[in-house]
Amino acid sequence: MRIVVAVKQVAALDEEFELLVDGRSVDPDYLEWDLNEWDTFSLEAALQLRDALDGDGHEVVAVTIGEEEAQEGLLACLAKGADRAVRVWDESLRDSDVLAVARVLAAVIERESPDLVLCGVQSSDAVNGATGVALSGFLGLAHVAVVKHIELDGTTVTVQRELEGGLVEILTLPLPALLTIQTGINEPRYATLRAIKQAREKPLESLSLGELGLDHGAVAAAAGSRVVSIAHPERGEGAQMLEGAPAEVAARIVEIVRDRMTG
Amino acid sequence: MLSLGSLATRPVFWDFTTPLRVLWYALAIASVGVFVYGCWRPVRKWRRGHGGPWPPVPWSQWPARLWGGLKLLGSHRTIARRDHTAGAAHRLIFYGFMVLFAGTVILGFDTDFLTPVFGVSYFHGTFYLAYKEVLNLFGTALVIGLLVMMVRRAIVRPAKLDYARPDRALGEPQFDRHTYEIGDWVFVGTLLVIALTGFLLEGVRIAMDQPGYGGTQFVGWLVAQPLSGVSDATLGGLRHGLWWFHGLLAITFVASIPFTKAMHMLTAYVSLSLRDDTAKRQLAPIPPGPADQPAGYGALEDFSPLHLLQLDACTKCGRCHEACPANATGRPLSPRDVILELREHANHPSADGFAASVIGADGVRQETLWACMQCQACVEICPVGIEQAPIINQLRRRLVEEGELDSNLQATLQTIHKSGNSFGENRRKRGRWTAELEFEVPDARKQPVEVLWFVGDYASFDPRSQQVTRAIARLLHRSQVAFGILYDGERNSGNDVRRVGEEGLFESLAQQNIDAISECEFDRIMTSDPHSLNALRNEYPQLGAAWKVVHHTQLLRELLESGRLEVRNRLSHRVTYHDPCHLGRINGEYDDPRRIIELLGCTLVEMPRNRDNSFCCGAGGGRIWIPDTPGQERPSENRIREAVALPDVELFVVTCPKDVTMYEDAIKTSGNADRIQLRELTELIEEAVVPQPAMVGA
Amino acid sequence: MSGVVVVAESRRGELREVSLELISAASAVAQEMGEPLSVAVIGSDCAKFSGALAADGVSEVLTVQAPGDGFEADLWAAAVEGLIDAESPSLVMLGHTIDSMGFAPAVAARRGLGFASDVVAVGWSDGLRVRRGAYGDKLIAELEFPGKTCSIVTVRPGIFPPATAGAGSAQARSVQVPMEGVARTAHVSYEEAASGGVDITKAEFLLSIGRGIEDKDNVPRFEELAAKLGATLSSSRPLVDAGWMPSARQVGQSGKTVKPRVYLALGISGAVQHLAGMRNADTIIAVNRDPEAPIFNVAHYGAVADLFEIADELDAFA
Repeated sequence: MRIVVAVKQVAALDEEFELLVDGRSVDPDYLEWDLNEWDTFSLEAALQLRDALDGDGHEVVAVTIGEEEAQEGLLACLAKGADRAVRVWDESLRDSDVLAVARVLAAVIERESPDLVLCGVQSSDAVNGATGVALSGFLGLAHVAVVKHIELDGTTVTVQRELEGGLVEILTLPLPALLTIQTGINEPRYATLRAIKQAREKPLESLSLGELGLDHGAVAAAAGSRVVSIAHPERGEGAQMLEGAPAEVAARIVEIVRDRMTG
Repeated sequence: MLSLGSLATRPVFWDFTTPLRVLWYALAIASVGVFVYGCWRPVRKWRRGHGGPWPPVPWSQWPARLWGGLKLLGSHRTIARRDHTAGAAHRLIFYGFMVLFAGTVILGFDTDFLTPVFGVSYFHGTFYLAYKEVLNLFGTALVIGLLVMMVRRAIVRPAKLDYARPDRALGEPQFDRHTYEIGDWVFVGTLLVIALTGFLLEGVRIAMDQPGYGGTQFVGWLVAQPLSGVSDATLGGLRHGLWWFHGLLAITFVASIPFTKAMHMLTAYVSLSLRDDTAKRQLAPIPPGPADQPAGYGALEDFSPLHLLQLDACTKCGRCHEACPANATGRPLSPRDVILELREHANHPSADGFAASVIGADGVRQETLWACMQCQACVEICPVGIEQAPIINQLRRRLVEEGELDSNLQATLQTIHKSGNSFGENRRKRGRWTAELEFEVPDARKQPVEVLWFVGDYASFDPRSQQVTRAIARLLHRSQVAFGILYDGERNSGNDVRRVGEEGLFESLAQQNIDAISECEFDRIMTSDPHSLNALRNEYPQLGAAWKVVHHTQLLRELLESGRLEVRNRLSHRVTYHDPCHLGRINGEYDDPRRIIELLGCTLVEMPRNRDNSFCCGAGGGRIWIPDTPGQERPSENRIREAVALPDVELFVVTCPKDVTMYEDAIKTSGNADRIQLRELTELIEEAVVPQPAMVGA
Repeated sequence: MSGVVVVAESRRGELREVSLELISAASAVAQEMGEPLSVAVIGSDCAKFSGALAADGVSEVLTVQAPGDGFEADLWAAAVEGLIDAESPSLVMLGHTIDSMGFAPAVAARRGLGFASDVVAVGWSDGLRVRRGAYGDKLIAELEFPGKTCSIVTVRPGIFPPATAGAGSAQARSVQVPMEGVARTAHVSYEEAASGGVDITKAEFLLSIGRGIEDKDNVPRFEELAAKLGATLSSSRPLVDAGWMPSARQVGQSGKTVKPRVYLALGISGAVQHLAGMRNADTIIAVNRDPEAPIFNVAHYGAVADLFEIADELDAFA
């Protein structure tokens, strides 16, 4: 069985940052990179599914679109137990929107002929929540989004889909399938730096668009939107801040609560 | 009756038939044989550990080491520390036993070698009398020492001799320790009986033989008095019986040494001789080996032979148990019990032998390992040189490798990896604390400096500690020291990351710091963070760095003594000083802060537990990144209570940023905010040096 | 291509509020575009919602009959694609909900449409323009859809005011979309979150705890505090993920949406997903050690303080 996990190295923004001159993106100096939190859960889910299978020859493959920083994230995946990793990059992908990314991911994943594809529900920087399902559209896979529990039985998957308000839907679907994974489904394991260093010995492929049979035109055509500009949001008045020692603050809070709760 | 003079002697084998002599020698040789086998067996056991070199120390160094061990043993310095009664009593026992043992060897040499081979003997006359006198004296010493120890155990019952363990609950299989207690009493009791029967035998002989010089063998003489009326026949029977009883007991004891508590006589000596004095300061890197060999200790075969040897050296003295801050505050860790648990596994291995994991519910538990603050109080006080905290660290390395760590700790390690600091702040913010200063702090990466100041995480990011950091900067600026910092080139020093067991992350951080520092030009490095001090001074050299590293208290003392900083307002505070683990006990620096306090005019009231016995604030070993169980007393609260019990002390002085954080909090949570205040030493200096009321305290 | 189609959402026989919010958002855009607005509703019971969906500004209600009892990703995808084929809209708007996100991106991908999710503003100025958050709402990005004749946009719930149900006079029209053998997933059952008898959406005063409480063992202390203050205890998602709190008490996008009189948040940073669940509370008081915590942007009162200290002091009052 082959399980592919699509992961993303996401950027965390410092409170003070600067935009690039063209006003369309943030100066990379102000970004710190880390593996997307949701993807740690989907990778862990993939590893647990693989380890529960009988027999040999099952593999977990981590796939990402990204440049140098993304290598770290893939190494972490390999260190945690993924068997192989694939990274795709082309300069033209720098500003890609969710559909363009999904298009390229689809090309990579198609080569792998996976039985199961796992994605995180969303990434913490772009928060589109769409890459996984868009990917299933390109790959033509049966899919369920926002999964909090997986049971694999042969070629049928039973999942729990997490709905608003804490409601859960239980449904089944056949393999091959794609699932987007929600946080809290498991406890992602820790990869020591030693393990990450040793992971450099594991297979990590770097591919260009050409090697995937894609060109800039195909990717651009798949794109669903384009960023015109980014800007600081309008701040409202913001909160009225309560100052003083904890006792004073607590007293003020009690006052506010009493006032609002009566009448 | 025999007379005095050169004929003063005693028969060795009085009234022994030849078959009896042969029997005796056969038994004695058998006992020695068992003893030798018993000594060889543990050596073979120690060699099953592959985590370190064999021999633990190159053979060429052994003569010097063994001699050093002998000197240490002779002075009994490590045994007398913090327990003068035990030290004195053990000296009596040790010297008593040694002298009596030597006495037997001297006698045996004469009887079994000199006389039969060369026909001469020295065992008579003045020599004999002196010999007997000395043996009586030291035999008495032995008995007194043993009695003191027995009274201690039975009546005084000091807390550290309580074998109740904090890492097992009542009803759990390894909870009960009465076999240890029985073993202790058998050991002490056997020695006492051997000594007493020896005196009794002497008394019976004197009563029978009436040699006339009995006064010199005073104990024997005393014993002989009540026996003076007894018939020779009875005395003879007694003498035979006592001789065999005493003799058999003695050789049984000798044979049993390697199998009982008595073994500590040998293993403790070897452990002391081979001990690693740097163990407190410097952890061992992962030894080279196959890449898939997991790091640290999981099973006994992963241990270094030296550590396996140390397991056998433990005498259950309880000093580490008493010194451990985790144990003192009710946490499930006692260094003594970690060592004893491991020893049990080594001596009673399961079906998988030394390949079986020692970590688990039936071994050393995870909660035990994570409770450790790596303060090294255990290593410091152990009289026989056991490295409890480094062993715990090795076990942690395996847990980390297997991902078995508190989720908060895991998150912090990931944060440190991502941002280079434990606060999760963007690395650009590392130098932000300088913004409030009225002068610019030079960037050591861009210009040469005299002092490269390695600030550290807490000192850079924690708001309360930043006040101290700015105070240090102001004092350095005032005294015109050419200093600079690394700004965002600095990373967490990795000291605590290493003590958590994440070697790979430690190496990564250390390498980044070394790379950044190597680009700079400076005379020496100064740090206000003792944890960073330890890493930079003692552990970075493992990776090739070699710099002079000082603590800020040393630099400030120099500035005060040389007059570059002038005390304008002599302070009259009554203060107490808390020695931080990494500066005091671990790096041996106690005097600079005390000298400064003196120069400022303050009165120092020492904490009851001070210097090498200082009580950890609870932040070390990664504990500051693991939340405490609510409702339990924290080590820092325990320490503050100790401080407020001192008469009229206004200020609790610290010299470590983590202490600042922990004790400011503990003063509040223990309800002592109106009784004592915290000051970092630099803040006191500023109060004394700056002409007007300036930034002081919280 | 012309016209705006809003896809309404229902669950277990109830129309979801986001449908009415979409209508008010869409009617503004439709006016800017000068094009008609239709509202589509999909399902086996879609006819019963036509009345409510006929709000101000809606020209037509389109019903698409689908087999089965409830949402199924492939069926809904087929329905929307069928609507696009039948009505040729320039813009299709859905709520940014778990159902929508379960199929809408696949439609956009397959059909090569424009796409943007979780938008907070929609407009038309020489083409479709939307605004959405970037870097988790730290920035706002403006997007355009060059070369796209039809775009799918999902709208963040709780931003637009709901249109008044049934205030208009639109008629319903059925749109036939073949759906035989389309569904690939099979519904088994629904499970309510174990509520333990608690419905936080009914509480007037919520004491809500977040990651700042640090340890599971600290939860009882806040349970006691809530009880003393007369509040109901709720939490943000991370505590539920970690198993410290039951999911019935989770406030947020995937938890419950609450509108109490007072929402007192301790140690909650204010991630977008959490804010979605409580931003409309009457009075929001937030306590957090981090002065930059996003929750201070929506709170009415804030305090940068140690939540344990504040909790201790509050305890003394109760």
